[in-house]
Amino acid sequence: MIALRGVSLVYPNGVRALDNINLEIAKGEFVFLVGHSGTGKSSLLRLLYREAKSTTGEIVVDGIRVDRLRRNRIPALRRHLGVVFQDFKLLTDKTVWENVAFAMQVTGAHTRDIMRQVPRVLDLVGLSHKSRMYPTELSGGEQQRTAIARALVNNPKILLCDEPTGNLDPSNTTEITALLQRINLKGTTVVVATHNQAVVDRMRRRVVRLDDGRITTDEERGYYYLGLGQTQVLSG
Amino acid sequence: MDWGKLKFFLGEVTRNFSRNTGMQMTAIGTVAITIVLLGLFLFVRAALADVGTRLLEKIEISAYLTPDATPAQISAIGRFLAEDPRVASVQFVSKRQGLAELRERTKGTIDTALLTENPLPDKYRVKVHVTEQVPSVAAEVRRLAGVANVVYGQQVVQRLLQLGAVLRRIGIAVIVVFFAVAGIIIANTIRLTVFARRREIAIMQLVGATNTYIRLPFICEGLLDGLIGAAVAVGLLAIARATLWPRLLEALPWVQLTAAPMDPRILGAEMLTVGAAIGIVASWLSVGRHLRT
Repeated sequence: MIALRGVSLVYPNGVRALDNINLEIAKGEFVFLVGHSGTGKSSLLRLLYREAKSTTGEIVVDGIRVDRLRRNRIPALRRHLGVVFQDFKLLTDKTVWENVAFAMQVTGAHTRDIMRQVPRVLDLVGLSHKSRMYPTELSGGEQQRTAIARALVNNPKILLCDEPTGNLDPSNTTEITALLQRINLKGTTVVVATHNQAVVDRMRRRVVRLDDGRITTDEERGYYYLGLGQTQVLSG
Repeated sequence: MDWGKLKFFLGEVTRNFSRNTGMQMTAIGTVAITIVLLGLFLFVRAALADVGTRLLEKIEISAYLTPDATPAQISAIGRFLAEDPRVASVQFVSKRQGLAELRERTKGTIDTALLTENPLPDKYRVKVHVTEQVPSVAAEVRRLAGVANVVYGQQVVQRLLQLGAVLRRIGIAVIVVFFAVAGIIIANTIRLTVFARRREIAIMQLVGATNTYIRLPFICEGLLDGLIGAAVAVGLLAIARATLWPRLLEALPWVQLTAAPMDPRILGAEMLTVGAAIGIVASWLSVGRHLRT
């Protein structure tokens, strides 16, 4: 579903954000990208939805050669992807319903399909009863669920999350994590960049660790800290 | 037809348009001024052309004869002119007749009684069907035996044409400047809207809206600026035509203005088109530049 081969990203100011990244993510996988701030987690995600363009290497997302993608083909790529951010990026002058519908409206979807699809995703994220409220009237967790609903409304095969729980308290974090897991169970490939140790350690999913722009470890059922994971495995 | 889609789109355009009312008014006002100027220019040009045409129509050729021209030569010249299909009318003016006409024309300004003898030669007064043929007819007449000199209002014609050309150049320069200003103001208005909606644009790009789709509401905003400005201008010009035109005719009876030979409906449609075009071009360029993130 996602493949990066020999990918590096050097910003115009000379900073090397990613260095020789090789990574394969299969369909339906749930993957954590972990590491300190500034180690390239967000940069890696940005490469996948072509917000940034790799300097070298080959990137394939759902069969699309992203590194060679022409500008006018970027919208088509993004319709295969859902992206969720730490700051939700909701439109404050639109209701929950409108925020979610917006993602379909601007891609030229039929009203008929919007009327069918929006309630479905709002139900999935558990916000049907708050569809007429505005983002400012919602808790952080509810805002993030709205953002996730928006990311899912076009039925993407892949969901990319950049620090989805970064602004949330522990209970909301649990709620969002559970939701992401549910989405993954429905067959969507989920990639989550995070430095929330609790989330990673509770889920016990594949963990790809970045350090200084390089992948240092890649564990099938990992923990946030390599050392911690080993001790726990040993003690368990 | 998907009414929901249309409603959403119109909603976007309306929100864009109502976001910066002051700036929107400035843009509309500038377009209106530009197009009023364009209208005045077209009017002045048409009026000048009209006056010019009528002056040119009055142009006649005076073929002065030599004092020693024989009666045979004189009648030969008369026949030559009368047979020429380009010539509309030929009139023989004897020196005595010429003096009488001169006295009539200069009555009260020059005392022709002071003249001891008649200095005027005999002449033929020739009118030609088409003004452009004046020079060629004049040249042919000049070659005939018995013709001393041929005069027509060369200089008047040339001066008039030159004046027209200068006025036209000044007018075009002013209008080009105003079009540029109108375009820049519309582009800036659109830029403000783009800036105000940058979050929405970012989200649109994120969820895979095409650039054309993102652009469209902004192009429509520019189109509205241009169209409304042009409509205001057309309205003002129509009012001016209805109220000021009769007074202008009264004030300048000697210019003999006729209603500019232009169909006001076609002119109005053209002005609306021009306004719409400025709006579309300016906003297209403006949004295009700001979408390249």
